[in-house]
Amino acid sequence: MSGVVVVGLFEGIEKAEGAGNALRALPLAEDRITTLSSMPLPDGSVSRDTRRILFPRVTLIGWFVGALGGVALSLGTYLLYPLITGGKAIVSVPPTLIVTYEVAMLGALAGTVVAGFREMGLMRFRTKLIHDPRIHEGKILLCASVEPGNQAERAIAAMKAGGGIDVRSEEGEL
Amino acid sequence: MNGVSSQGGGDHLARTDQGGLYRELSRSNLPATKRWYAVVGLLSLVTLWGVGCFVYMMKVGMGVTGLNRPVMWGALIASFVFWIGLSHSGTLISAILRITNATWRAPILRGAEAMTAFALMVGGLFPLVHIGRNWRFYYMLPYPNSRQLWPNLRSPLMWDAVAINTYLLGSLTFLYFGMIPDLAIARDHATGWRRKFYTVLALGFRGSHNEWRRYHVASTIFAILIIPVAVSVHSIVGWDFAMAKVPGWHSTIFAPYFVTGAIFSGLAGVVLVMAVLRKVYRLERVLTTVQFENLGKLLCTMSLLWGYFYFAEFLTVWYNRNPEEWEVYRSYGGDYLPLWLSMVVCNFVIPFPLLCMRRVRRSIPALCFVSLLVVVGMYAERFLIVVTSLARRNDPFIWHNYFPTWVEFSILAGALAMFLLLYTVFAKLFPIMAVSDIQERLFQATDRVVGGTTVESIARPEASGEGGHG
Repeated sequence: MSGVVVVGLFEGIEKAEGAGNALRALPLAEDRITTLSSMPLPDGSVSRDTRRILFPRVTLIGWFVGALGGVALSLGTYLLYPLITGGKAIVSVPPTLIVTYEVAMLGALAGTVVAGFREMGLMRFRTKLIHDPRIHEGKILLCASVEPGNQAERAIAAMKAGGGIDVRSEEGEL
Repeated sequence: MNGVSSQGGGDHLARTDQGGLYRELSRSNLPATKRWYAVVGLLSLVTLWGVGCFVYMMKVGMGVTGLNRPVMWGALIASFVFWIGLSHSGTLISAILRITNATWRAPILRGAEAMTAFALMVGGLFPLVHIGRNWRFYYMLPYPNSRQLWPNLRSPLMWDAVAINTYLLGSLTFLYFGMIPDLAIARDHATGWRRKFYTVLALGFRGSHNEWRRYHVASTIFAILIIPVAVSVHSIVGWDFAMAKVPGWHSTIFAPYFVTGAIFSGLAGVVLVMAVLRKVYRLERVLTTVQFENLGKLLCTMSLLWGYFYFAEFLTVWYNRNPEEWEVYRSYGGDYLPLWLSMVVCNFVIPFPLLCMRRVRRSIPALCFVSLLVVVGMYAERFLIVVTSLARRNDPFIWHNYFPTWVEFSILAGALAMFLLLYTVFAKLFPIMAVSDIQERLFQATDRVVGGTTVESIARPEASGEGGHG
């Protein structure tokens, strides 16, 4: 979501929820309204997350890629350096399982980090992102992505009527 | 936030303003004092002394240690097992508490996770220090080379290398990921170079609803993934010994026994670290007796479990009287009696009955005393496992007792100082308390009047469904 964003600070959840309901009544779609807060708010308390959370699939993919890597690492080294250890077969299943398991878990962790960061929208250092440090004073920043002009004005009015502080329109991304 | 409605009186943290709470929890990040520099200087000196002794050992040879046939694994390997064990509980406990949504967890998460990361870093160095020709450590890495030599992944020592690296990377990621919201808070409060530092590390986290939702899912996934990794790491450390046909090592019980011992010593480490943080950074309002009492309960359980495992192992050998194994156990009543007594007394005889008493669990000095005993007892246990099995190995004509030399003691002291140094510097630069987790916990807590008393009530948002708009 990029473009014009109307933002307003609210002193409490009840006020923010009231303003959020007023924005929905404009009407404004659910996915255009969000909050910025210093702690997680229950979904639906002020805004609702409509996007599906997909990155756990990448965790699974990472696990399988890691497992393949583990199998390749163990089988590859067995065959490249066929050293008999304790009279056991060159290609031994238990050590392969152990190495495969460890590398698979590493793959799953790596997949979670990369996909999680991406889906959270982190590391957008060059993008102007909407933010207000006053959320760390306990306030909630209600944000609505709007069309410039009439919709923006009505959103500002709705937030002010709901008790918003420093309600303003900003250019940036949510 | 104003969403918290409270009834009743008392100095409840839920009514602390967030700015004030941040200042209280981030005292460790205040500009360094002379005392801090003195502590860091002293720890650096001891670390450097340890490094110097390691260099000396590398230059002169392993002969400067007390190692000699048949005891070729000594204090360095015992310390490796000890430190890896100590690393166990931090991330593991944090992950379990996250998954079970234990309401008392928030103040201990960060400190425990950091302990894991630094204990692993220190512990992971010991095999490298021990290997003798240390400059060839890279032989463990699988890379194409002209001699067609590849690491032998059928060796338990290589399983160890893979597992420890996975756990270290996982623990560092777990630590960092959990810190992102707090780094964002620190960024918005900081000025100067710290602001730039936190801006980069916070990765642009702002606390949007979408970010929080995904952060929670990712945290849960991390916690789920890291638990089996933690268990596997110490199982593999146990298999380092159990796979060898050495009397006293070759046991099927070693993997779960090592995991139990690791969690036990790790919990004791967490108690000690928390007590120090509480005292040094005046965190009495956050790290309360609730956290210590619960850790005490876990410690009590682990003491009982450790006792059970040790007795099961002992009974099997005692009844069987296999001469090779029995000689190892007989040495516990001879040359190694002081160590054996230290182990049993410090791990079970004193801690278990004491920890059964609520009064002891709720007394932080008493709990620290018990935890210190456990740390000593667990080091004695590691030393006994590593050394006595080799000292009484098969052929009586080569039996030989081992005692570490000043070089080994210096390296051990250097390792301890390095751990403390890393922790001290970390606490200065990073939020040592999980501020956002504590805020969330306080947000969910209210005081509820029940008849003639007031009790704390915790809201569980996920338990009430998806919620909705009015």
